[in-house]
Amino acid sequence: MSIVALVLVTSAQVLAQQGSNLYDLPSPYERYTHYLATARVGAAIPIGAFADEYIDKASVQNYSLSVEWILRNKFSVGGEVGQNYFQQRLPRQLYQLGEQEVSAVQTRTLTQYPIQGFVNYHFSGPGAMVRPYVQLSAGGSFVDYTLYWGNLSDQQQKFSFTYGVGAGTRVLFKRDGSMGVDLRVKYSQTPFSYDYVTSGIPALNASVGLFYRWW
Amino acid sequence: MTIKTTLLAILLGASLMACTKDPLSDLSVEDSQVFITNRNKTVNFDQYKTFSIVDSVIVLGNRGSGTSLSDVDIQVLNRVIANMQQLGYKYVNPKENPDLGINVAQIRNSYLNVVSQPVSPYLGNYWGGFYGGGYGGYGYGYPSYYSYYQVNENYWYLEMIDFKNPDRANQKLNVVWNAEIRGSGLFDTQGVSSVIDSVFSQSDYLGISK
Repeated sequence: MSIVALVLVTSAQVLAQQGSNLYDLPSPYERYTHYLATARVGAAIPIGAFADEYIDKASVQNYSLSVEWILRNKFSVGGEVGQNYFQQRLPRQLYQLGEQEVSAVQTRTLTQYPIQGFVNYHFSGPGAMVRPYVQLSAGGSFVDYTLYWGNLSDQQQKFSFTYGVGAGTRVLFKRDGSMGVDLRVKYSQTPFSYDYVTSGIPALNASVGLFYRWW
Repeated sequence: MTIKTTLLAILLGASLMACTKDPLSDLSVEDSQVFITNRNKTVNFDQYKTFSIVDSVIVLGNRGSGTSLSDVDIQVLNRVIANMQQLGYKYVNPKENPDLGINVAQIRNSYLNVVSQPVSPYLGNYWGGFYGGGYGGYGYGYPSYYSYYQVNENYWYLEMIDFKNPDRANQKLNVVWNAEIRGSGLFDTQGVSSVIDSVFSQSDYLGISK
């Protein structure tokens, strides 16, 4: 009797599974690892000593492109290249440079071209419409510090280590679709020291992006 | 699928290049000017009463030296005299043993540089110290693998020499103050007076009690 009941229960489960397999196949994005590319534009706010000593004006000239490999678990790994640009104009002031007195309008600029590898942990599976994630990134960054005194410039260029932590979410335009929108906030830091900049280039970056995935 | 990816890459590439911009494009002529002054801090300017000035502007540079006395030069010399008088000094003939002598010079340098093409956009504003240099700027010479650009710089230099306390042992006259004025719009008669005023107004220690 109990054996019959067990068989019935088991076969019912099998039937139910077959039904779902036949009419509701998981999308290929769930069944296979796949690739995902994201193009982002963003705003960045300088923070910490960098904001106090050099530029505290927010920037909207930040762009990046990333390509990643979405694993079948909740992780993805990839690479990202980008550009961040900060600029601030200060009204004419008298500066004491050593023994010299210099009256000038300063145009302070800082450009960064980060090239980073990253790991994302997603809070939902690859098939979900909404995939919130957290991110760890590290890599190198080409830094260009150019301070203009009037139209004279003082420039320092350096390739430096860079790293960041971020959190964001991806939202597909339609279920099982290949395109969607990406929102991310990220803290980044690049050790750099020259003239006015004494403790790196920390910044908070908020970006909006479009992503495309394929396998 | 591949086409879309390629399009995306092109789009991003284009937007990355588009944002390599000139941060000085909106800088006004006045804001481009830089006034640099130095002084000998051990000197008390109260000891000087009289001054004189060169009768024409000295031209110094790597394309030769000489003197110049154009309208703008005359204006500059007169403006220096006016500023010194304002500060309390008496203008005298060079033969009357002035306490201070003032030199006014135009520095004119021209550099021809060679740059290897293509210049990586990652180098950013590769003109370095001469970027946006102002007068005449730069120009490419040859549309070949190698390219040349010329940079002209032209600026004012003023100095004040102590005739009252000559260093007789070393046969030297000490420069007690100097000023360098750089930027755009320094050589038109419209703006040059305020340019000269600027270096004196930032050097208020030059003022003496009459």
